Amino acid sequence: MILPIILAVYAGPEDRALIERLKRRDPQALAELYDLYGRMAYSLVLRVVRDKAIAEDLVQETFLRVWNRVHSIDAEKGAIGPWLLAVARNRAIDYLRSSEGRDRNVAVEWDETEHAPLYREMEAGILLSDQVRRVKAAMDKLAPNHRTVMELAYFEGLSQSEMSARMGQPLGTIKTWVRTALQSLRDELGVAVSP
Amino acid sequence: MNCDQLREHYELYALGIAEEPERGEIRIHLNRGCEVCGAGVKRALETTALVGATAPPAQPSPQLRRRILASVGSERKTLWWIPVWAVGLATIVLLMILNGSLSSTSARRAREAAQLREQMSVQTAEIARLSEAFAILSGPSTTEASFGGQQPRPPHGKVFVNPSRGVLLIASNLPRTPADKIYEMWIIPKGAKPVPAGLFQSQDDGNAMHVRPGTVDLASTAAVAVTVENQAGADQPTTTPLIVAALAR
Repeated sequence: MILPIILAVYAGPEDRALIERLKRRDPQALAELYDLYGRMAYSLVLRVVRDKAIAEDLVQETFLRVWNRVHSIDAEKGAIGPWLLAVARNRAIDYLRSSEGRDRNVAVEWDETEHAPLYREMEAGILLSDQVRRVKAAMDKLAPNHRTVMELAYFEGLSQSEMSARMGQPLGTIKTWVRTALQSLRDELGVAVSP
Repeated sequence: MNCDQLREHYELYALGIAEEPERGEIRIHLNRGCEVCGAGVKRALETTALVGATAPPAQPSPQLRRRILASVGSERKTLWWIPVWAVGLATIVLLMILNGSLSSTSARRAREAAQLREQMSVQTAEIARLSEAFAILSGPSTTEASFGGQQPRPPHGKVFVNPSRGVLLIASNLPRTPADKIYEMWIIPKGAKPVPAGLFQSQDDGNAMHVRPGTVDLASTAAVAVTVENQAGADQPTTTPLIVAALAR
């Protein structure tokens, strides 16, 4: 229980070496990657699919995918944790969509958000920092409807149109809720995305 | 659309739920190296990842780590470490399976099969690529052209063009591309714009093999070229070609 946390604290500075070793096909590097992010990826996938056996299968697929595509991430500036989590989320949502018979590509191109070169120059070890707690606190503070749309977007991969249908609310209302929820998160994190 | 109009859509893009036309516009901005959108999307991806990390903590089984390592060939499936009680338990489980007591077995097998298919699909794609390359190389009507002979530290190699099978590029000494770049091959018709012929990366040793299957009109083709482009590729070359193989016809 404690070991992943201890490892996590030191993960940031070692990401570069870890990526290089993964690119050299060092299986021990994959073991270390799993020790750092395996539990987090599993927790995320389980939250999406809500089935332990399926979640484990999807996490295995995630690590295999990262292993097979690690050449595409920048060893110098790449942020392997956020990238791995994006791959895990996409695998889980892809499964969810497929099992629910939802169209997998109506408005969403999942692979686009797991494009490794996008994950560059992020804060080292961001997933292992205090920011996670701050985001969780910010999510808890959201109004119920705002939190619901965030969870539907993140953990179920619903587009705003799909949320509108699911929640029986006009699309304009959903867009407002999403916009407000995102703004609250930005404010909480002090991220100056909007002017 | 300008960057100001896209700001509010960065998070939706990062979540994978941005809709058109904003999604396409953000992609265009990213592909042309827009610093404003690049920074905005990066921050949005950070936030998205942080939201993912807020999922209620759960503990996977200890076997998952072993399965993952075994799937890349790290851990051999030896049995010496299994304690006696585990062998007994496994026997009971096996009997339950045989008795049809585990109703989820077939579903689980299906998922395992899907994983194996994922692994095999990589190998199958490689075999298919090699078969295409071999068909081009061995075709009686294949024309070849060399490149890189006169440069001091050139990427060098050959291009093989078969009118009915496609184009095969074999290159050595290719410099490593930056992480957000990729090689793109072009078929250049006489007196017309280059036609995209696929993206590829070189290996760590600088070697590369790329196949563009399909028909090629040799009579109207002047050359095959390679440029370095953004990861998504380009419709037309945006950099000076580092390989140009002129077809002598």
